[in-house]
This record gives sequence, C-alpha cells and structure tokens, in this order.
Amino acid sequence: MHGNLINAAVIGYVVATGLALAYLVQRQDLVHRLAVLATLAGWAAHSVVLIARAIELGAPPLGSLPDAISVAVWVIVLVEVLIERRTGLRVLGAFVLPIVVVLSLKAATPRAVTLAPALASVWIWIHIALALIGIAAFVFNFAGALMYLLQEHQLKAKRPGAFYYRLPALETLDHLTFRTLALGFPFLTTGLVLGALWARTAWGSPFTFDPLAFLSFLAWLIYAGTLAGRAAGGWHGRRAAYCSIIGFAMLVLTLGAGLFLPGRHGS
Amino acid sequence: MPLFVAGLSHKNAGVELREQLAVEEDKLREVLADLQAAAVLREVVVVSTCNRVEVYGVAEAPGEARALVFRHLCRQRGVDLAQVEGALYTHLDGDAVRHAFRVAASLDSMMIGEPQILGQVKDAFALAQACETVGPQLHSLFSQAFNVAKRVRTETEIARHAVSVSFAAVELAKKIFAGLSGRAVLLVGAGKMSELAAKHLVEQGAFPIYVANRTWSRAQDLARALSGTPVQWEELETALASVDIVVTSTGATQPVITRPTVERIMHGRRGRPLFFIDIAVPRDVEPGVDRLDDVYRYDIDDLKQVVDSNLRERAREAQRAEALVEREVGKFLLRQGDVEVIPTIVSLRARLEEIRLAEVKRTLGRLPDASPEQRAAIEAMSTAIINKILHAPITKLRESSRAGASRSLLELVHELFGLGRRG
Repeated sequence: MHGNLINAAVIGYVVATGLALAYLVQRQDLVHRLAVLATLAGWAAHSVVLIARAIELGAPPLGSLPDAISVAVWVIVLVEVLIERRTGLRVLGAFVLPIVVVLSLKAATPRAVTLAPALASVWIWIHIALALIGIAAFVFNFAGALMYLLQEHQLKAKRPGAFYYRLPALETLDHLTFRTLALGFPFLTTGLVLGALWARTAWGSPFTFDPLAFLSFLAWLIYAGTLAGRAAGGWHGRRAAYCSIIGFAMLVLTLGAGLFLPGRHGS
Repeated sequence: MPLFVAGLSHKNAGVELREQLAVEEDKLREVLADLQAAAVLREVVVVSTCNRVEVYGVAEAPGEARALVFRHLCRQRGVDLAQVEGALYTHLDGDAVRHAFRVAASLDSMMIGEPQILGQVKDAFALAQACETVGPQLHSLFSQAFNVAKRVRTETEIARHAVSVSFAAVELAKKIFAGLSGRAVLLVGAGKMSELAAKHLVEQGAFPIYVANRTWSRAQDLARALSGTPVQWEELETALASVDIVVTSTGATQPVITRPTVERIMHGRRGRPLFFIDIAVPRDVEPGVDRLDDVYRYDIDDLKQVVDSNLRERAREAQRAEALVEREVGKFLLRQGDVEVIPTIVSLRARLEEIRLAEVKRTLGRLPDASPEQRAAIEAMSTAIINKILHAPITKLRESSRAGASRSLLELVHELFGLGRRG
C-alpha cells in the first residue's frame, strides 16, 4: 500500500506539473483548477505516505536524506498552493512543481527502516528541520529569480511573448526573491551551525570532511554574499537573480552529493 | 414565436450609410411606439450605435416585420430604402441568438473586445423596456446575452491588453513597477500623446507629476493641466534622478537624454528602475541606454510592436470567447426549445387521451360482460397504442426544437391534430 501511495503522490505531482505548464501556455481557468486539484491529490497521498512512514519508524521521517527530502517536498507543495491562493500568482506552479517532481522522484526510492545511530540527539532533529525549511524557502527563491530573469528579458527585448503576459511585475518578483532569501537564510545558517556543533560532539571536529556538509557550506557562502550584497551594496534585480540561481544549483549539488556520495548524510 | 434580428453594421455597410440610419434616443422612443402600434411585431428592441443599427424582434412573420421596420426607419431618417436593403442581414432563431450574444460580448465589434458595446446594448434594452416593447422572449434573450458578455469578459482576456499606444505604455509600466500609485512621472516636452499617456498614468495613481519644457510658460501650462509641478529645463537631470517614469515628446532633432546622463543618475538610484516612454520622432532618449541595468526604454515603434502583439493576444482570446458563446447558444436554445414545444406536447397528449377515453368507454359499453381483467387489458392496450404513436413525434419535436427549427413542425402538429392556435 505504501509503495502504491508513493506512486500516487508522484503521479499527482507529475500530472500537476504538466497542467501547470499547460496553463502557462493556455491560460484557461479550467486547466489551472485541474492543476491545483492534481497538486492537492498528490499532496494528500503524500501526507498519508509520511504518516505511514512515521509510524513505521516510530519517529519523524527525517532520519535519512531521502526521507527528509520527502518532507521538504511536502512542505514546498503546501506553501506553493498557499502562496498561489494568497497572492494570485497562478503561474508559480509552473516554476515550482517541476522541482517538486525531480525531488520527489528521488524521495520515492525505497529505503531502510533503521535510523542512523548518530540520530540520537534532539539537536540533530532540529538541525534537519531547520535545514529543510531553508531549502524550501530557496526553492521559491529560485523560482522567483527565474521568473524575474524571464520577465526582464522580455521587457528588454521589447517583444512581448507568453511570459510578458503571464508573469507579474519585475518589482514584485524582485521582492519575492529578496523575501525568500531573507527567510531561508537564517534557517539554513542555524541548521548548518547546529550540524557543525553536532559533528564536533559526535566526531570530535566540526569540519570533518563530508561532501554534503562541504557543498552546503559553499551554497551558504553564495547566499550570504547575495544577502550582504542586497543589504549593503544595493544589489537587486538581475545580479541578485543570477546569484539565487547559482546558490540553488549549489544546493541541488549538495542534495545530490548527500544522496549519491558516501558520507555521514548518506542514506 | 420566431425570433429575428435584422440590421446593418460596420461589417457590411459604410460609415456614410450607418450614420444616416442611426437613430438617437428620443427619436428611438417614437420609432418603438410606432412599431408597436403597427402590431406586426410582438416584441422589439432597436440597437443603434455608430457601428450598427439592428432590430431584434419577435414576430409571426419575420420577413414582413423586417420590411416594416426598415421602411419606417428609412422614412424617418430620409434614407433611400433600396440602398439600405442591399446592406441588410437577417438572422433567425438560433442564428439570431448567436448574433445577439456575439454583439453583446463585443465579438462582432470593429475593435474586438471594446467595452462600450455592452453598455450600448443594455441602454437599448432598457429603453425598449421603458417603452414596453419587450416581452418574455426578448427579455430572456437579452438577460442571457448580458450574462454571456460578462462571462466572456471575466473568463477570457479579450479586453485585457491595451490596443492603444498610450495604454500599452501604462501596461508596460505595470510590468516593471508593482503598482503605479505613488510613482513619480516626468514629462519632457509637451505633445498631445505624452499628455494622454500622463493622464492614464495619473488615473492609475502615479504621483507627483513634473513637467519640463524648454519654454517655461508651456511647462507651467501643462503642469497646471495635470496638477503637476513645472521644472526648469536646466534642472532636467536632477528631476530625472528622482522620478520613476519619464515620458518624452520634444521636437528636438538630437536626443535630449543621453546615455552618459542616464548612467550618471542610475548610480544614485540604488537599483530603482527607470522607465522611458519616448513618443518623440526623432527620438529624445538615446537608444544606447537600453544596455544599462534597470533602464527600460520604449520608443514609438516599440510601443506599436507591443500593441500588435496585444492585438494578436486578443485574437487568440476571441477564439476562446467564440467557443464559449457557441456553448451558451446551445444551452439557451435547449432551454428555449423545451419551453417552446412543451405546451404542444401537453395538448397533443391531452387530445389523444381524450379520444382514447371516449373510445374505451364506447367499447366497454358494448361489452357489459367483460371481466375486470379484460377491462384492464383494454385500458392498457389503448394507452400503449397512444404512447407508441406519440413516441416518434415527441422525440422529433424535442430534437427539432433543440436544433432551433421546431416552428414549422409545431404548426404542422397543431394543424394535423386540430389543437387550436398557438400562443
């Protein structure tokens, strides 16, 4: 039943992605409504999967990276639907859901039922939860940056195309990227610090080599630089958007390293 | 009873003919009263705008009614009837419904999606109501037409994008800035079109407005007209540094705003975007500023290009609107059709039931020894025969009414079964 529900969730997200992209082109109310329905259906199945997984583990399903990513996807989908509802930014799904699909495909792989022995302290759970919230915020940061670049390109090229009509104002998008950065950064920072502290307690040094820890530190540096540039140097718009995209690419690499390379975060 | 629309529009009649035939409101009252007095039309609404003169009517004999209406209109307006006859179109029943829906939804307009026509049709309908020439059929037609028009407006983007250069500029500004309220605007030079663009920006909440002109008095005049502030020509760069949107339309032969100037002022703006709307020919803003970050410059050709692309977007949306109208026409005819054939079906059934009862009574009168079972069998058989006979005609009547073509069939049924006159 578990496996079937995971598939149902992934299929729901895939269908929702297709519909959201179709909405970008077609701009029919019905298509958007179907996309939201498919998203919610996938999300509902996903919720059941997570609950089942928590019961199976006897702990929150955050103990392995695939589990944790699965929770992150669940949060991202929820936030995506909420933002669309609240701000009327109906094209957001087209930019966020493809990422959701990629992440959930990885999260849907079967995994062990035992917890890693290091996961004994409450601090490690907080480390994981904070890092996840940070990652969720950066998914929206990335989507906002991508939309900004597309809209900016259309306005500079002076040839209005589909994106010109569908996307909101540059300023709105720039605010979105700034706010998601300002929101995600403290979570990522605290998450990383807790991870380092835990590493010192568990392994004696905060900086023992772990591919995920190393890459996430690089991502953190990029985001820290962007935030500093924005706050102090008046960075904004295109430059900030490029930084967001590079930062997100680094985060993706981080997660990839965690999933595929051996290390303390390996599954 | 047959519904028809007859008239002429920008599609098939020149402006000369249209303006000759157009009727203003007080004259229209007379026309409606006269038409009602003639008693050929059961119901009538006349829509008269600069782009169309149309009569929506309900009449036993639409052809006759149409001739009467236009004879009357031509006489009133002193137009040659033969000239009008050549340009007239007539739509009946389902086609008339479609036409009414398309006109109200602005799909038949010269500029597809323009918003005035719905108001004009509503006014025409209200006037006819006031003159008591609207009955149930036109009432349901027009109420539904208004609903459809509203749906088209909200569910498609047919009227969403600007089709004039000045509105296109406002729309562009809204794609750069999140809302225009409180955005400062600088007008450089004083052309009619830049004034218009400035007015649109003010309507969207842009404030304050500055006006710079080489001629100080001209700057003062325009500033007063727009409730803005005049700016000395020498202060142009200072003003540029503080505003969000710049509309230029000077008669200068050389650019008045150069790339070095803009580069200088952008330094102090901390990334606040600057939008140039350059309506002047030759252009006032050096095209080189395009390569600067956060600077957006649209000259008149760029704006025209945006308008063209908006028009294409409208045309695409119009196709969706047409499909929506088509579905609504179908639904309307379905409801209408059932309403139209039900009385006939009921009276047809009643007529046959009357015959059946009389015949059964007679037969049973001749069979005094029949058992209750036998009586019941005779009742059942006679009812079955009637149902079998009625099945095909009723199905046919419903089908034809849904196709909007039940009139002749209904008449035939009434005639054949002697059902009396229909209402």
